[in-house]
Amino acid sequence: MGGPLGWRRLKTDFILFAAVVLGAAAIGLPFFQLSKRRDALPGCILAAALGAAILLVALNTVSPQPVPEFGSLLSSDTLGGLFGLITLSVTLGVTVFSIPTISSRANGPLYYSLLGFSALGMLFLSFAADLLILFIAWELMSLPTYALAGFDKTREESNEASAKYAILGALSSAIILYAISLSYGLSGSTQISSVIRALGANSTDPVSMLAILLFVVGFGFKMSVVPFHMWVPDTYEGAPITISTLFAAATKKAGFVAAIRVVLAASTLYVVTQNPIFTIPNIFAVLALVTMTLGNLAALTQKSMTRLLAYSSIAQAGYILIGFVIYSYSQANPAYAADATLGMTGALFHIINHSIMVSAAFLAVGLVLIGTKRADLGVFEGLAKRAPVTAFTLSVSLLALAGVPPLNGFWSKLLLFLSVVSGPFAWLAVAAVLNSAFSVAYYVWIIKRMYMDEPENGEKLNEPLIYVVIFAVLAALMIGLGLFPQIGVAFSQNAVPSILSP
Amino acid sequence: MIPLLSLLILIPIAGSPISYLLVKRDRETGVFATLAIALVTLVVAVYSFWYVYANTPALGTYGLMEDYQWVSTPGFAVDLLFGVDGLSSPLVLATAALTVFAVVGSRRLVNRSSPPYFALLLLFEGAIMGVFTSLNLVVFYVFWELVMIPMFFLIGVWGGDRRRYAAMKFMIFIFVGSTIMLLAFLAVYLDVSPLSPTFDIPNLAGHIPDGLQYLPLLASFIGFAVKLPIVPLHSWLPDAYSQAPAPVAVLLAGVQSAMGGYGIIRISIGLFPHAAAQWAWLFLLLGIATMLYGAVVALMAKELKRMFAYTSMNHMGFVLFGAFATVISGNALGMEGAIFQMFVHAFTAGSLFMVAGYIQQQAGTTEISQLGGLRNTMPRTAGLLVAAAGGAMALPPFASFLAEIAVIAGGIAANPYTAVVVIVPVLTGGYLLWMIRRVVLTPSPESFEVKDMPWTDTVTLALYFVPLIVLIVFSSLLFSPAAPVAQWVVHLVGGA
Repeated sequence: MGGPLGWRRLKTDFILFAAVVLGAAAIGLPFFQLSKRRDALPGCILAAALGAAILLVALNTVSPQPVPEFGSLLSSDTLGGLFGLITLSVTLGVTVFSIPTISSRANGPLYYSLLGFSALGMLFLSFAADLLILFIAWELMSLPTYALAGFDKTREESNEASAKYAILGALSSAIILYAISLSYGLSGSTQISSVIRALGANSTDPVSMLAILLFVVGFGFKMSVVPFHMWVPDTYEGAPITISTLFAAATKKAGFVAAIRVVLAASTLYVVTQNPIFTIPNIFAVLALVTMTLGNLAALTQKSMTRLLAYSSIAQAGYILIGFVIYSYSQANPAYAADATLGMTGALFHIINHSIMVSAAFLAVGLVLIGTKRADLGVFEGLAKRAPVTAFTLSVSLLALAGVPPLNGFWSKLLLFLSVVSGPFAWLAVAAVLNSAFSVAYYVWIIKRMYMDEPENGEKLNEPLIYVVIFAVLAALMIGLGLFPQIGVAFSQNAVPSILSP
Repeated sequence: MIPLLSLLILIPIAGSPISYLLVKRDRETGVFATLAIALVTLVVAVYSFWYVYANTPALGTYGLMEDYQWVSTPGFAVDLLFGVDGLSSPLVLATAALTVFAVVGSRRLVNRSSPPYFALLLLFEGAIMGVFTSLNLVVFYVFWELVMIPMFFLIGVWGGDRRRYAAMKFMIFIFVGSTIMLLAFLAVYLDVSPLSPTFDIPNLAGHIPDGLQYLPLLASFIGFAVKLPIVPLHSWLPDAYSQAPAPVAVLLAGVQSAMGGYGIIRISIGLFPHAAAQWAWLFLLLGIATMLYGAVVALMAKELKRMFAYTSMNHMGFVLFGAFATVISGNALGMEGAIFQMFVHAFTAGSLFMVAGYIQQQAGTTEISQLGGLRNTMPRTAGLLVAAAGGAMALPPFASFLAEIAVIAGGIAANPYTAVVVIVPVLTGGYLLWMIRRVVLTPSPESFEVKDMPWTDTVTLALYFVPLIVLIVFSSLLFSPAAPVAQWVVHLVGGA
């Protein structure tokens, strides 16, 4: 019975401190609603709280607190640190980006409060070592975003986005809860490590297979894996663009950390002996193939930039799954252990990179959307003349998404493809490379529109300094991690062993 | 010791933002600064060329080696490994020289003045230098892709009327080809030795198991074939070459195509010699097909730039033909000729496109039917056009003559029947002479108002012919460093 024991052993430390800071900000911010004044203060408070939380998580990642001192609810490891840093940093970027547009609105403080709660949920989720805290964190992350997706309450699309997202989100939560109850029935525990052991011990039991499948489906909604992706394009298009950024760059990654903590760790013990086709690596491989192919094909036909980025982000989830494939495969085939490390390093690095790339792309689109109220592809024609910094950032991010060196996306894709190129999943490497080649068509098409076509309307777009700073940081990250990939690769590689030591 | 090869890459790349800022402030100063950067690079390139000539590296080794750690984690390591040999040093020199020419030519020909243009030229030069000097497959790939980005913008922003279409087609063809090529690089990583996987070409060459060479050979060949280009992967070429501004077309035809030939010799043959030897006839025939196709389509071309684009394709077919003739026969001559051909082609193709650019600027068209009488209206341009055509026809005293002779002789060593390719230079001579007859010697059409090119430009254009004439006298400058490269290939294939 790990759960209740965990509470008693929990001690004050960096992560708890970070959670307290964030929680205090999130709880305190709604009180600003009482005042009539609407200024940037609530946004700045949340940004400061997020900054502090990022610093604390970074400190914890550099010198992790010893695990036994930590209780069994949260596991203070590099994997959690990696995801905590990603999700909090994206939330910080979104918060700062929102300040100019949201601060003047009547319910601005609530917006920041909801963002804060969601960030808190993602923080806990990153470090979760117990299914109950995982579920609570999952809901804490998701519930505020249902409201945030519908934040433009006068816009019909925003309402639709919110409703669609909330319904499918509730469905996925229910599925996860069902999976948790099944695994509790098998193991008598909610501690992830005991659950995994129990699933491994009962590997021939169809119930344990069902539990794992339900986890895949439940997390798959957030990871935007085909066929659980239906909400993604509509929600990304309808939600306020800052919130779409949060979905693509942060909550999606939180879905990945949950999947890594539960499903991928389960695959280490769960070796199906009876049926050689229906195995976890094969399930992941099919999901990866379908996700990247459908994502790229659909992206090519889109007329709206936000939908295009939504499908592109679905496709990128497919690449990330390649790491899952080889990692789960290597558990039954130790000869592939080195490839598995490469693959998971690539997957984690690609998760970092994708957060950066997709944030840059969405925020650049956000600037265009603020300036022109449009996000169809036509408005990007001649953007280089109207908003040079935005066009440059968007181009760098699109090239990085396409995997063009020397940008960061290249290295993580290289590691992912390299990990499966020799072995039974070589076809997946071929499919991924062809997908990558195919995807360049729509990415470059947008660059062509921005730099080579003439604008319909030559009016300059306003590029406020705060946005330029965010763009500069993101572009510097994409180019910097591309030129000096060592930092990212080494950091991701350090996080890989934490998958096995829950 | 000075890290010369790093300088070769870093001078243009670091010079690129400087050029951008200076051109933005004042175009003339900026262009001269860009020229200065390109000239400094040329000096380094000349030195490294001379170094390789004077201290020719032994079989399978490289000169001026540099090695830095880039990524190093357990299970994955990429080193920035650089080196030159008789295959890469001529191409490094040709790149540096053509960039200087392109900068000079752009001063007058590229009017849509925009600061990034010259910066992109320099970025392109730095990236190509990286391709020719890097000896690590990942680093090679990084530079290979980096070449594509400035070229995409150079064609798409500063090109002719159909520039957007040409740029997109270029980008998609090249990117698809190169990602397929990446598969080959990934596949060899773990093949050599499971204990110490490596991307370093010197460690890979000769150590890849025979049975694992076939698919990587095919995948890498597709990537290189798109750039060379080889029938049937050439359809981007006439659009890109004819839509690009003339100085950019010079670089496209002159050095970018050599990237394909370089890759085929260094990687497709150098790393997968067993498979290359098995399939050599297939590639040899593809080379002949490319030569013939290029010549026949050029014969029918109605427009100068398209004609020159197909001429360039026909000449690059010689590279493929010569390289695989050596793989088959074990006679080094074919590959030496191929290397020679890549170098001289840079200058023959470059001069053709540059002259076409001047004609375009003055006459407003390069349609052969609308041109005429250049002999009277633009005598200096006409003279240069005749000289450039002479170079492309492989007439003595131009060194292209030696290159084609060597390649054809190498082909005969592989199989006497391949001597039929002599028809290609004959065809080339035929259509170029016919073009000269129509463009230069006919009476000029009425209302044909053109100015001849200024003397300064005539002189710079004449510089294209200097290496061609020098090499016919001192052909050992290229042949002697190329010999160990060809012998190394013969050794790898298994020495016939």
